[in-house]
Parts: sequence; C-alpha cells; structure tokens
Amino acid sequence: MITLKELSDVNLFTAGHTACPGCGVAMSIRNAIRVLGKDTVVYVPASCAVVFGTTFPYGAWKVPFFHTAFENTGACLTGMQAAFEKKGKKVNVVGFAGDGGTYDIGLQSMSGAAERNDDVLYICLDNEAYMNTGIQRSGGTPFGAWTTTTPVGKNIQGNRRFKKNLGDIVAAHEIPYYATLSIGQPLDFIRKVEKAKNIKGFRFLHMFTPCIPGWKMDPARTVEVTKRAVESGMWTLYEIENGEKKITYKPGKMKSVRDYLLMQGRFRHMSDEDIKTLQMWVCKKWNLHYKEKGAPEVCEIEPPEEHHAVTEEHREMHGP
Amino acid sequence: MYFYPAPVNKKGMFEVRFHGRGGQGAVMAAQTLAEAAVNEGNYAVAFPFFGAERRGAPVLAFTRIDSKKIFSKTQVYNPDCVVVLDDSLLDTIDVVSGLKPEGIAIINSKEKPEDIDLGKIINTATVNATSIALEILKAPITNTAILGAFAKATGIIKIESLEGSIKRKFGEKLGAKVGERNALAARTAYEKTLMGKSRGVKKLEARKQWLPDYQEIPIGGALIEGKTEAGLIGPGSFIENKVSGWATYRPVRDKEKCTMCLLCWFYCPEGTIHRISDRGDLMTNYDYCKGCGVCANECPVDAIKMVRARV
Amino acid sequence: MKKVITGDHAVAIGAKLCRVEVVPAFPITPQTLIIEHIADFVNDGELDAKFLTMESEHSVMSAAAAASAVGARVFTATSSQGLAFMHEMLYATAPLRLPIVMANASRTLGGPPGIWCEYNDSMGCRDSGWLQLYVEDNQEAMDMVIQSFRIAEDKRVLLPVMPCLDGFVLTHTVEPVDVPQQVEIDSFLPPYNPDIILDPARPAMIGTFMPAEYIMELRRQTAGAVESAKEVIQEINREFTKKFGRDYGGLIDTYRMDDADIALITMGTVTSTTREVVDKLRQNGQKAGIIKLRFFRPFPTHELKKAVSNLSALGVFDRSISYHGGGPVYNEVLSALYGMTIPVIDHLAGLGGRDVTKEQIMKMFELTQKAANGVKVNEINWHNTRGETV
Repeated sequence: MITLKELSDVNLFTAGHTACPGCGVAMSIRNAIRVLGKDTVVYVPASCAVVFGTTFPYGAWKVPFFHTAFENTGACLTGMQAAFEKKGKKVNVVGFAGDGGTYDIGLQSMSGAAERNDDVLYICLDNEAYMNTGIQRSGGTPFGAWTTTTPVGKNIQGNRRFKKNLGDIVAAHEIPYYATLSIGQPLDFIRKVEKAKNIKGFRFLHMFTPCIPGWKMDPARTVEVTKRAVESGMWTLYEIENGEKKITYKPGKMKSVRDYLLMQGRFRHMSDEDIKTLQMWVCKKWNLHYKEKGAPEVCEIEPPEEHHAVTEEHREMHGP
Repeated sequence: MYFYPAPVNKKGMFEVRFHGRGGQGAVMAAQTLAEAAVNEGNYAVAFPFFGAERRGAPVLAFTRIDSKKIFSKTQVYNPDCVVVLDDSLLDTIDVVSGLKPEGIAIINSKEKPEDIDLGKIINTATVNATSIALEILKAPITNTAILGAFAKATGIIKIESLEGSIKRKFGEKLGAKVGERNALAARTAYEKTLMGKSRGVKKLEARKQWLPDYQEIPIGGALIEGKTEAGLIGPGSFIENKVSGWATYRPVRDKEKCTMCLLCWFYCPEGTIHRISDRGDLMTNYDYCKGCGVCANECPVDAIKMVRARV
Repeated sequence: MKKVITGDHAVAIGAKLCRVEVVPAFPITPQTLIIEHIADFVNDGELDAKFLTMESEHSVMSAAAAASAVGARVFTATSSQGLAFMHEMLYATAPLRLPIVMANASRTLGGPPGIWCEYNDSMGCRDSGWLQLYVEDNQEAMDMVIQSFRIAEDKRVLLPVMPCLDGFVLTHTVEPVDVPQQVEIDSFLPPYNPDIILDPARPAMIGTFMPAEYIMELRRQTAGAVESAKEVIQEINREFTKKFGRDYGGLIDTYRMDDADIALITMGTVTSTTREVVDKLRQNGQKAGIIKLRFFRPFPTHELKKAVSNLSALGVFDRSISYHGGGPVYNEVLSALYGMTIPVIDHLAGLGGRDVTKEQIMKMFELTQKAANGVKVNEINWHNTRGETV
C-alpha cells in the first residue's frame, strides 16, 4: 500500500487551475491522478472540472483530456477503452463526473458501462448539487439542504427528499469494485484509488467532495467537513468488492448530525423537526452500515441569527 | 464636490465598468446602481461579463445610465467611470483601459488618490471599503461600501437613492437587518471618500494573448503541449496562470514545529506545496496559493499560520 | 463477386471492407440489419473490431466520439428517433473533427411515429457540420460507405459523414451488389492515421471549454472544411471510378441532361424510378432530365447552377417538409440559384413512407413543364395528398 511518503510528487493536474479556493473536487482530482499516474486518459463531462481544468487554450491536465457533453461519461469511457484495447494499449481510462452527471442525467450511460463491465474507472465527485450552473438540487442533494432550486421559502424550506442511494444502485450491477472515499481519510483514499486502478472491469469510486460556495462554508474547513460527515454518519466509508461489502473506517461513537450541519450555511435554516428527520435517516443508515443502533438524542439547535445567504455572490461566481 | 456635477440628461449616457473578483459582489453593485438610477427617474441597465473562472478570479460588471431608453447591448469599452472593488487587481489589469479622459476611477484602497498609480493622471476617488465592510458587515464584501464612494465622486446618483436600493435589494434577499447594515456601509464610505488625482508613472504591459487566426487554430481545437509568443498552451499550461492575487491570506509554516507529516502537501487543492526530497522539506510556491487555509486548518501540530497576503 | 443482398447488408459489408475498428451500436428499425450483420462478422471472426452494445443512441455517438478521439476508425448506423436522440453529439463530433461514418436508414421522425421512409430525420442535422449524402441503390450504399471513410479521413476534410439510405425501400430490399475484394479496398483506403489523438505518450486536450475569443475562428475553420470537402468528394469519385468502374458523379449525378429543357432534382431511391419516367418522357419527345442531388452537405451550389443553366424550368423533389411552406431541399435550391431567372417549383411526395409512384413523378414533370411553358403553377405542390389536387 502506498503511504503519503511514497505518493508521487509529480503534478499531473497542475497548479494555476481556476477552481475556487479550498475546492474539494480539485483536491480529490489531484490526489486521484497522483495515484493513477501518467498512463491515464480522462473524460470529464460538463462540470466545474471542465472549466477550471481546461479553458482553451490552457489546461491543468497533463494526461490526455476529453470532453463532449454532460450525460455520457459511461459511454465515452466505453468508447475510449474499446479503441485502446483495439490498439493494444494498456491505459487507465478514467472518468471524473459530478453528482448531477452521475446520479441524474448520466445515470443511464453509467449504468450501461457498468452492466457491460467495461474495463474503466468511473469516479463520481459528489458535491451534492449542480455547482457549475450555480448550486441547483441534484439527486445527490441531502435532505434539508438549501440550493437555488430548493430555496428556503415561506412555505417550503430546502430539499424535501433524501440523498439517492447511489452506492446500492451501482453495486446492483454486480461490478468488481465500488468504494466510497473521503479526502479527509488520506490513507484510505490512496488505498482505494490504488486498488481500483489494479482491478479489471468496471470500477466505481464515489468521492465526497465539498463545494465551498455551494455548501456556504469556510474554505479552510473543506477537509474538516468531510471528517465530520464521516463521524456523524452522513458519509460512510466502505467498499464492495465482488459483492462483498466491507466497512473500511468505522467512526467511534456516533456524533450528532448537528455538528456537521452547523458548519455549513446550506443547512443553517433547518428547523428542529427537519434536523430530527435527517437524524433519523442518518441513524437508519448508520445502523445499516455498522450494524449497531446509534441514535443519539437530537439536541435542540439554536435558531440562526439571520437568514444566512450570500446567494447573489454565488450566482455571480457561477453564472446565471 | 463632484467630479461629474451635471445631471445625466445633459451629459448623455453614463457608463460604468466594475472590476472585482468573483465573490465580492461586483454584479450586485452594478445592479443596485441601476435600480437606484431608475428610481431617480432615469433609465439604466446592468449586466455581468462572466469569465470561465471561479471565486476569487477577476470579474467584470457594467452599468449604463441615461435619461432615455438604452438600446445598446454591447459591453462597455469607453466608460465614464471605473469602479475597482479590489486594489490587488491594479497589479495585473489596466483598470483604466478605455476610460474617457475626463473619466473617474473609484478604487477600494487605504491609500490617498495621490498615492495610487494608475499609469495616467486622472480623477480618482479612494475609500477603504474593505475596512468599512469588515467593521460594519463583518465580511470583506465591499460592493455596497464602494457604491457610497461612487455617489460621492460622481454625483450621478444621490446617496439616499442608493441607500434605498440597497435596503430593498439586499433586504429582500438577505433580510432587513442585512439591508440596513449594507446601506450604512454605503453611507459611511460616502463620508470617508477621498478625491484627487492619481499618479501616472507605471506602465502596465497588456497581458499577451495567443490569438490564432482560423487557419492557425489547431484542427478541431485539439491541443498538445505547445509554446506561443504569449506563453504556454495545451496540457499543463495553466502553470503560467499565477493566482496569488486571489488570496487574502497566505500560509506561513514554522519549520521547527513541522513534523513533515505531509498532510498539507496532500490536501493542498492547488498543488502549490512541494516536497524537496533531498532536504526532506516542504516549499510553498505562493504564486499559486489562493489562501484557502486548508493547510493551516489541518496541520496536526499547528505549525502553519495564515497571515494577510497584502497589507 | 456478385451477391444478392439487402441495402443494410451492403452497408455492413462496406463497413467490414473498410476494416472498421470500433462499432458502437443500438438497434432501431430499419437500421437493425446493419448492426446485426456487423455483430455476425465480429463474432464469426470475419471482422476484427470492437462491437459495443450501447444502451442508447446518445451513448452510441458518445462512444463513437471517444473512440475516434483515441484514433480508431469508427462506424455506426442509426435512423430517425435514434438520430434525433444523438443530435447533441452530432454537434460535438463535427467541430471536434472526428471522422466517424454513420449510415442513416432514412425514416420518418415522429410524432406521430412511423417506421417508413422520410428525410425529416437527417434534414434536421443540416447545420451540425456532418456531411450527408443520399444513395439510390444497394451498390451505391456499399460504395458510398467506402468512399465516406476516404472523404471523412482526408486531411483537408476530417469531418464525420452520414450516408443515408431509404428505409425499407433499400434497407430491406435485396438486389445484386458487386462486392469488391478486400485487397482492392485496402489499396483504396489506407489506415486512419490522425495527427492528434488521446495518447498518454503525447497528451492532448480535446473538447476544452472554449471562450468567445476562439470559437468564431473554430467555426470558420469547420465551415472551411465542409467547403474543402467538395473538391475532395469529386477527387475521390474520380479515383473510385478509375479503380472500380462505377462513376457516381461526385456531388451530383445527372441523367439525360445534355439537351434537357426541364429537369427534376431528386434524392435517394426516387431517382431510380425517375430514370424510367424520364426514358418514357423522352420517347414522347419531351426533353426531360434528372439532377440527382447526392450530397446535401456540402451543398453543390456551383454544380447545380451549371447543371440548370440551359433549363426552362426546374422541379424539386422533397421527401420532408420544413413547415414554412416548402421542403428543405427546395429552399436550399432556391438559395443556390439566387440571381437566376429559372422557375423552380417544389414537389412534396413520399412523406412518412407513402410510395412515390411513376404517375406522381409524371405529374411532377407535367407541372414543371407547365412552368416552363409560362403557365402559372403553384410553387409548392403536395403530391398524392388528399384534399385539393395539384
């Protein structure tokens, strides 16, 4: 297993890219590509990663980069892999798609590649909303979260549905490898990327990637928030290898989901009742993953001082 | 004293260009100004120009004010006024480019106009909008404060009209309290604005850009690593894009405390922390540091402190 | 070697002879036989290609684009709704200059749905940058798949090409086809060898986000490539004729036009029937001819102008409607002949697969002759359509 010390210092995703400060996607891409190495070809569907990674005539990628559309990551990986195989070249064919590009518009294409068990690595960078277009709800948006399409209104506050269980959907294709990752657990992160790299067939790495403007948080806390997500059960670290599920990191005593929510402006409006609802969802998930009941009392949450938002600011950054 | 004492309808159309960075609220400022102008009985339009970059990257916004309907839908090339929300932009962008000779530059700066070098001697107003924003809004969002300076320097709009628009526009989105505070920021800036003339010493070299004609552009826009007169293009060429101007803070590492755990090196989203393998040390290249502070936040032995990037 | 085969089979054999390397596929009537035959070739070891069973046409064109960007020779086929579903990807592949060849089995694009021949599927792809051509019989279908790869991969062109064959009228009709030897095709079509591909040994970025400072030059470049294709098409036609003895005329083909007074512009299989009609008209002393519009993109403006220069009137056959009166071909022709005084009238027929009979074609010539004689006729004529008769 590669340790931090052994990890390559070669920047295959160079500095000078134009992601927001503290971007969880940039962090995850940089480290994934460090492990994957230079014999890699990437496909990136429409997303922030296209824009901050390549803007003609400049690019941050030092490995071949391809982009055409939003909903076709799976298919493009299939096409690239077939062509490389025909030419007798051994190349890591890797897709970096967002949650919108995977949970929603790209689900069919991903499913096709998974079902065919094409020899590709699909990486989902899950920041829980359509961030490139300016923070709109996706199938990966958690319950209660503010987005610009699940605004905090007088009648309806935030997203009313729970995050789609993508892991089970992907795993149901009976692929050789599915794993969830968090940048906050570096060794686990590196190990899973390395493992996925060396398995043949369709591999899926599901990375939890905070978005500073989308989650309305301090850029310095990108890594911290992923750790809190894991400690609270909002994100679980596990892998499914040939149908066998294994928890790869088990937190100690379950922390209240409130600790996680309070770090982020997108949840700041949530009512006690909504927090309780979300907490129950998390407890169910915790129980499912860790096979233990863990439902700490839902604490009272202090009401927000004011309706938090810098929505215009975010809109400005991300375009209409 | 106004630089521009005449009412709008005597002078014709008044065009403003806002220079800011993503996240500072330049677009909101342009829109608020337009709304205030309309409330005074004029016609106004405001529009952004979105580049491809994200939070912290330079952005442009425009406002046009006239006494009659405005039909022009182009960008503004010869503004009557430029408003600069972040004086770090002065180092890299010729903010007064195309500014009319009698035009005005309004700059968020702690300096006096006479100490600001814009490369030409022009009417200049300065205000320390950042400190006003930090004091009143508790955040370095300078768009409302700078509008106060705009009212003071141009006379195109009454400060009361701006206060009204700010209260309504910000209040609607962010709550009445936030609206009030932003209006106060504008009023405070209005009172603290200094007016004078800029210096005209420095020569800003226009940033070179590779602009191939249609026969020269690579087929299908496919690029391999290449070099042009304007610098690198293709894979990895972003390395020439220095982003230090985005940073408000930057990390300083205490070598004595550092245990070389490499977490900062791993987490840095920019890849600007390098290992110097022969010395077993780390080096931060500030050219690419956007000042996110993840390294300082994650350092297990507290060896990294964030300090103001510019004082 | 003569084989009695369907149009779809002929297309599949054409692709095989081109040694296509990657074939992403998704079934749609009446294209299905094409991909079924290719699947047979691959599974029987007759064709060394990657056959990919995709889950939609959008994914077909996505996989095609990606494989082409890696440098593979890519072939696929679709029809109608499938072509519409991959519409977005047509706009991605042409400006990225990926020389994919895709046969389109021309079929009505619903709703209401139908499975028979109409050109409203491919006409809507007019502005995507794809070259498109229409064939008359199964031999031409096969030969044009082969020529399409030469055109697409020519360094002056580097654009995807869409040969269209009439749904059912060709796709499911058997007729004799002369199948060339593999060695003949190998000497006609060299392996595809692009300059910039996705290769870790020499990293490239393809399909980057492109700001306004560059996109107009790229559009102009693509427009230039479509224009260059005209000369390349003529050149390759001449070479093909020399090698295989079959001359398709290049951008357009003409029949009995030398002394013609009136002519009909035709596309696809209707051309074939019209040949017999013209022979009959000639027997009756009427100086009728045919201009077979082979390529719709690039549009042969210059060739058309030349071909009609001595005519008294021109009729245009349109197998789809543009919903502002006439069909798309009529409007393109009017635009091409701008400044010429010749009367041009539109004949809409065969939409949704309605059979185009000799009687209708006769009627088209009759109306065109009237126009030639200076009699006022409608500019747009719906043939064999219930309601007022033309």
